[in-house]
Amino acid sequence: MESNEKKVVLSVRNLDVVFGRGKKAFKAIDNVSFDIYEGETLSLVGESGSGKTTIGRAIVRINPCSAGEIYYKGKKISGKLSRKDDRDVIRKIQMIFQDPAASLNERATIEYIISEGLYNFHLYKDEKDRIAKIEKVVRDVGLLQEHLTRYPHEFSGGQRQRVGLARSIVMEPEFIVADEPISALDVSIRAQVLNLLKKFQVERGLTYLFIAHDLSIVRFISDRIVVIYKGRIMEIAPTEELFQYPLHPYTKSLISAIPIPDPIIEKEKKLFVYSPSMHDYSVEKPELVDLGNGHMVFGSPSEIEKYKKIRFAGQN
Amino acid sequence: MSEQNKVLKSEDELFRFIDNDQFVSEKITAPRYSYWKSVFRVFFRKKINIVIIAFLVLILLVAFIMPIYWHYDPNENVTNAATYNLSPKEAIQYFGGFSFKWMLGSGNLGNSILYGIVSSARTSLLLAVICAAINMTIGILVGALWGYSKKVDAVMLVIYNIIANVPFILMVSVLVYIIGQGFWSFVFALTVTGWLFIAFFFRTQVMIIRDREYSLASRCLGTPVSRVITKNILPFLTSVIVTLLAQELPSYIGMEVTLAFIGIGLSAAVPSLGRMIAQAQGAFLTYPWEFWSPVAVASAITIILYVLGQNLADASDPRTHM
Repeated sequence: MESNEKKVVLSVRNLDVVFGRGKKAFKAIDNVSFDIYEGETLSLVGESGSGKTTIGRAIVRINPCSAGEIYYKGKKISGKLSRKDDRDVIRKIQMIFQDPAASLNERATIEYIISEGLYNFHLYKDEKDRIAKIEKVVRDVGLLQEHLTRYPHEFSGGQRQRVGLARSIVMEPEFIVADEPISALDVSIRAQVLNLLKKFQVERGLTYLFIAHDLSIVRFISDRIVVIYKGRIMEIAPTEELFQYPLHPYTKSLISAIPIPDPIIEKEKKLFVYSPSMHDYSVEKPELVDLGNGHMVFGSPSEIEKYKKIRFAGQN
Repeated sequence: MSEQNKVLKSEDELFRFIDNDQFVSEKITAPRYSYWKSVFRVFFRKKINIVIIAFLVLILLVAFIMPIYWHYDPNENVTNAATYNLSPKEAIQYFGGFSFKWMLGSGNLGNSILYGIVSSARTSLLLAVICAAINMTIGILVGALWGYSKKVDAVMLVIYNIIANVPFILMVSVLVYIIGQGFWSFVFALTVTGWLFIAFFFRTQVMIIRDREYSLASRCLGTPVSRVITKNILPFLTSVIVTLLAQELPSYIGMEVTLAFIGIGLSAAVPSLGRMIAQAQGAFLTYPWEFWSPVAVASAITIILYVLGQNLADASDPRTHM
């Protein structure tokens, strides 16, 4: 997959997010840069606390950036924006939240929750048009019209997540940040939500930033994967490339942790444990290096040489 | 046996595919939920509430309708010293037979205690309702913004710290000395800073629920602050608001009594429970009816308002609706 020809929708450049000030400052995101191309699904994976959600929230501007920039279609969207640009970005970049129980207003009807964005941007001609729009989106996510007058607590987790999805989709966004949209769901309904996400992507040409920690789901949904560890990018690669040639030891450990649905193999599987002490960065400074094939790895020059050897062994 | 074989032919005919309507599984069969309907259902489940409401209606009717017919004039018998400080029994005897007017005896100037209490009750209730309405409205709106915006918080905290450290009674008494002891100046004295304390209480409540995820979601949808406050924050604080109201309403009646007791209450021209109690305190042992009647009425009103408010607050908490 040669990605250079594709149109970049969103690019993150040298992003830092710092929480707290002075001595208590904590750098959650450290010098992160990546691009997202139009129509693709880019997944952010990493353990909890690695900063996946923080990056997603920096893009929808809930968390302010401490340094670095975020560009959307060539326009800078981090920092202060004019009111018009601000509204524009809000409408085009939407977010799906992790916890469907917490992200819906318990005291509002489903109709209000889905219409909220429409009201804010007045995206309808008249009352009739608004009703038609929300009824259509409700049907698209597989819910019923009669649900519109109900309250979130009456729904199951999967239904609630689909309400959250409908609320984003009705805004007709171009880019969606999906922050672990299925990790709070029952395993039996995860596929339903994932299939809906894929369906909307095909129908509307959406671009997704998919945040997850479950690699088997990530493999199903994403085109490219970014592996993050403690706020730094360890590896970026197209999905199959990453699963076939995991180069960074952290990626290897993540892949080795995927459960195998066979008790005998699973029992005998050897887990690969990652520790930052594997690297010696005292002499050589590490950086993110492109190895070709859209595969980038974080490492010191000697490590990169080693990775190149592993990656291209048996070729040439 | 043979008959059964005739009916059951082959497996192909025995089994057939049924349509799987995906939407059927999405149906919710539970009855529709309505917040306010549930509040009243839970509220009236307690029978005591009906009794309390009946008492409140009675008090309201008597306090607001009877003064039209029972004109209270504290000085009507001031020239006749024989009417001073009569017990109920003596008063009824003196004024020739039973009448509502003298059933609670007469005061130190020959005034009717019952008429005085009824007129005073109206003053107290009006004062409580007006002060609570003003303070709660301003307090809740300011408090919501105060808790929501970090910039407003920085400014308001300074203002609050300055004003909250001046003793409230001192401030009210100074204000009353400056602007007079009329009903409306009293309302002004109680509301000019009173809302600040409600706003501060409310700020804390708003801060607790401000950063919940659905509010972040509203931000991602570009919802303006005013609608986040009215739709995302205030509905969650309904029971807190009602609880606060249950404490505020009686507190103004109590406040009026307290201030009148230390001599900075309403002027003599306005009949008030506080003034009646204050005047009768010296006669506490000698003419007990002059003291105990207004005390009983003031207590009854505050207790009824408080219990009613608390029960309504309980009912407005959606956790009790199950």
